Amino acid sequence: MTSSDKAQAAKEEIEAALDGFRATFVEAFANATTEQLLRDENAKILGKKGTLTAILKQMGALSPDARKAIGERVNALKNEVEAAFSARLAELVADKRKAELEARPFDLTLPGRRPGAMGHVHPISQVREDVIDIFRGLGFAVFDGPDVEHESNNFTKLGFPPDHPATDMQDSFWTKSKHVLRTHTSNVQIRAMTSVKPPMAFIAPGTVYRRDDDATHSPMFHQLEAFLIDENVSLANLKGILAEFAERMYGPGTPVRLRPSYFPFVEPGAEVDIGCVFCKQSDGARTGCAVCKHTGWIEILGCGMIHPVVFEHCGIDPEKWTGFALGMGLDRVAMLRYGIPNIKLLFENDPRFLAQF
Amino acid sequence: MKASLNWLRELLPELGRLGPEDVAKKLTGAGLEVEGIHEYGAGTEVCLVAEVTAIRPHPTKSGLRLVTVNLGTTKQEIVCGAPNVPDPGGLVVLAPLGAHLPAKNMTIARREIAGVVSEGMLCSESELGLSEESEGILILPAGIGKPGELLTKAVPNVHDVVFEIGLTPNRPDGLGHLGLARDLAAVLGVRFSAAGSAPFGTTDIPFDVTITVDAPTRCPEFSAAIVSGVNVASSPLSWRFRLSALGVRPISNIVDVTNLVLLGYGQPMHAFDIAKIRGRQIVVRQATEAEAFTTLDGVARKLSSDDLVVCDGEGPVALAGVMGGQNSEISDSTTDVLFECAYFEPRGVRRASRRHGLHTEASHRFERGTDPTALQGALAYAVALTQDVSKVRVSTPRYVSGTTTSTAPRSIPRVACKMRVAYMDRLLGFEVSLVDAGAILERLGCKVRPLDAGTLEVLVPPHRPDLTREIDLVEEVIRVRGIEAVPSVLPSVRGSREVGGREALERSVRKAAARVGLSEAITFRFTSQKTLTDVRAPEATVVLENPINEHQTVMRTSLLPGLLEAVGQARRRGVRSSALFALGPVFLASTGDLPEERPSFTALLSGDRAAFCAWLDKPAPVDAWDAKGIATALVESLTGLLPEVVSYEEAERPAHLHPRAAAKLVVGNRVVGAFGLLHPDVTDAFEIDEALPVVTLDLPVLAEHPRTVRYRAIPRFPSSPRDLAVVVHDDVAAGNVRDVILASAGALASEVELFDRFSGANIPKDHASLAFRVVYRSEERTLTDAEVEKAHARVVSEVEEKFGATLRK
Repeated sequence: MTSSDKAQAAKEEIEAALDGFRATFVEAFANATTEQLLRDENAKILGKKGTLTAILKQMGALSPDARKAIGERVNALKNEVEAAFSARLAELVADKRKAELEARPFDLTLPGRRPGAMGHVHPISQVREDVIDIFRGLGFAVFDGPDVEHESNNFTKLGFPPDHPATDMQDSFWTKSKHVLRTHTSNVQIRAMTSVKPPMAFIAPGTVYRRDDDATHSPMFHQLEAFLIDENVSLANLKGILAEFAERMYGPGTPVRLRPSYFPFVEPGAEVDIGCVFCKQSDGARTGCAVCKHTGWIEILGCGMIHPVVFEHCGIDPEKWTGFALGMGLDRVAMLRYGIPNIKLLFENDPRFLAQF
Repeated sequence: MKASLNWLRELLPELGRLGPEDVAKKLTGAGLEVEGIHEYGAGTEVCLVAEVTAIRPHPTKSGLRLVTVNLGTTKQEIVCGAPNVPDPGGLVVLAPLGAHLPAKNMTIARREIAGVVSEGMLCSESELGLSEESEGILILPAGIGKPGELLTKAVPNVHDVVFEIGLTPNRPDGLGHLGLARDLAAVLGVRFSAAGSAPFGTTDIPFDVTITVDAPTRCPEFSAAIVSGVNVASSPLSWRFRLSALGVRPISNIVDVTNLVLLGYGQPMHAFDIAKIRGRQIVVRQATEAEAFTTLDGVARKLSSDDLVVCDGEGPVALAGVMGGQNSEISDSTTDVLFECAYFEPRGVRRASRRHGLHTEASHRFERGTDPTALQGALAYAVALTQDVSKVRVSTPRYVSGTTTSTAPRSIPRVACKMRVAYMDRLLGFEVSLVDAGAILERLGCKVRPLDAGTLEVLVPPHRPDLTREIDLVEEVIRVRGIEAVPSVLPSVRGSREVGGREALERSVRKAAARVGLSEAITFRFTSQKTLTDVRAPEATVVLENPINEHQTVMRTSLLPGLLEAVGQARRRGVRSSALFALGPVFLASTGDLPEERPSFTALLSGDRAAFCAWLDKPAPVDAWDAKGIATALVESLTGLLPEVVSYEEAERPAHLHPRAAAKLVVGNRVVGAFGLLHPDVTDAFEIDEALPVVTLDLPVLAEHPRTVRYRAIPRFPSSPRDLAVVVHDDVAAGNVRDVILASAGALASEVELFDRFSGANIPKDHASLAFRVVYRSEERTLTDAEVEKAHARVVSEVEEKFGATLRK
């Protein structure tokens, strides 16, 4: 055979190989069921030892013309293989995604993993912090006071007359050293007025004690007192602060009602109701419920203008300075907020109770 | 105070146009808070007066009778089981068909009783809600009404509305209907014609009892009148129903008279049987020490020399202002009665009432301050009421003030005070004119005179002992004017600076504690000395004089009692696991007058560790390392510094801690807290059979290290971790191994952490395997393997040498 014959024979052989090859890779790719198998098949064709690579190695025997023609054919075929590979790969990825999406759902009824076990702040503390923050936002600052107090700070200087039924309002615990467990946080008024020069704006959160222990009373409970003393503080200002407090604590539009009442250290004195937050309708009306005893109002605090006698006892001129004071029971505020039916629950510290807040 | 709407309407006819709810609103708005409204005799409005015309036995039932009643225009036969049906001509009460009787929650329906149809019911007092108990049906007195007439028309007070008023202690005037009506008149803006000043009627017998007041400061005013020829019997129905409605049990006409005066005028009075007044004389004096006297309630009392007594010629007949005595009580045979009516000094009555534990309707009023000028009106009212029910002869009254005895009351000067309109307006932030203010005060009984354009001179009425100074008048004006009229004006607050800092400190500790998984317990601050001893706390310094029970006798010196009680109770309720903390003062001895209230923190763990997730983590009981983890995390969170943990020496160890697990937390040479296990003797005392991890923090010391955070550069070069597992004798403290690793690894070691410890399996007896991860890193460059290997080899050899450790491969 001449060299050209040989070249011709080689050409034919390559062409035959190419024709045969074309039939096989399509099937091989189709049969590859995983990405790895597909890549293996692809390597069998285009890899270093791949079929197509082997064919290309035989191209040396070809005539330049044939080499060109075959070269173009091989390149076309190579593109074809790559396209088929990509298409099949996309298909496999889609199949896999589809299978992943359609597999059995996770059992989301199994308990979730919580990020650490958080503890719980006592509901009274939560309420106290909220109330403090509201008053701090209005310009008031916290003034600490002790639980064990001089009788004068708790009673006498606040204008409680001796042997007067007003002291029955607050049946007290006395200590062997003739001190009293404070019956209200109003002792802080005296402490502030005798140590700080007016003007002043203070709040006094604290624990207080009265000798009551029944279904609705605990001998230890919590109060928060707020008082403002300046040159022209008026009852209108007291109402202004109360309205602002009610809106910030219980939501915009919460109505406030004052009823005249009596506390020895304020005059005029009043009790304050807010519109019931439990039976409030979307239009702001109150339908009445068990919590507000069907009145639409809930009593939340007592207040009044600081009595001139208190100023006098603290060496402050009542002609120059006026002020208001208000005090609320934090236990009651917490019970109302969380719907806690019995004050005793607050002090039992059952872990199941605490974990609810 | 219970108030009858009927009575208020009698005193103030203008109330007739207001319903009960509106009257209640007016009262509450005036500071006389209505806490409840009850209907008395509910259902009686539809009942009829019925005349019995015939009675015959029930054909089959032996206990029943068929009663024919006349209802004016009709007759009806009713089946009745009561034994006391009156003879024909007697008047009874018929509840007709459809009548609803809330007292027994029944509605009258047509009933067939053993073959006989009954369309109505003859009612008893209890069925009508007129009294708690009654025997048989209610029989009306002859002539009280016509057959067929509405019961409410025939019998006054059979139906009423009763207000439950929560009176504040400054308002003694509200303890009588007269005072309530007066206040309502002021609020309604109508004139109140004081029914109280009714003059004494004609008198026909002399006052022949001698009265001496030996204690005029305690009894400034004393008065009395005699009625003779009394027929003691039960009161008319209208009185009985009025008293019942107001919660007072009717007794007899004379006693009922005194109660009606009490409820009407707020003026307590007493009725003595003159036959029992020895020597026909009355002496008001202070008791002698230990003098014996038996009060009406049958209690034999030993009197104090501070007690005031009303005596006859031989001894006490009443504890003045509090309660009468058994010896002069009105009885059925009483014919001559001495009505006594006085003004007693409030504080003295209060002391006596408290001393004897006797709180009565009388003492309640006297100690709040009665009206010293009300005596004449009250006496006259008592006599008039008596005359309504009994043909009696009446003496002239006697009034005694100190040494003066008279037949007319003395005039008592009124307290005067000024009121400046400018002061009032400034205090209220709301303008009330001089004229309006004056008018309001006059309606309340004040006498008002303008001194100048802006000032009033006010003479306060004697029934208002609470009005003594200008501010009291300001309050009266705005109370009656209506506090709602005052606008809401937000003040511009000139703010203050915090004083004390306890709130901020407690808040940061509370937040940190919740973050590490602790829940806040608020425990009682009182406990007992025994409990404090049980938890080995310092002895109590604040001891209560009047504890409420034997468990709450002293103020705590430790937070442990409350926490242990909470844990113990939870365990008894089946909740074994808890992680609680308490925050608050303990009460310690101090150099000052008041005790030191030292802010404290204690956490107590119990049961199983809060599992990260129950189906992934096995629950395991808490131990000393939980306490350590919480303690160090808290200190770090609060100060930004990791505390040094130092085991306690025997001598300095807090007594509540377990000798084998007790360490202190040190920051900057200061002990900021301690942790460990509770001493088993402590847990035993609370019947808890488990070692409880405990953490205490010394908050004042912690507060000296406020959290300061400084930025540190983030590592820029990669780290090379190496693990190291060694087997050592198990008496080797892991911390010591760690220290040696850290020292021998040199500057390249940035972290050393124990990540596993175990014993058993193939580890030799009394040995443990400790696995550490050592992280090598440089701040300047990436370390080469060779550098790291070199450093780590040094670590291995040091550990092997120092602890006789074997490296596990």
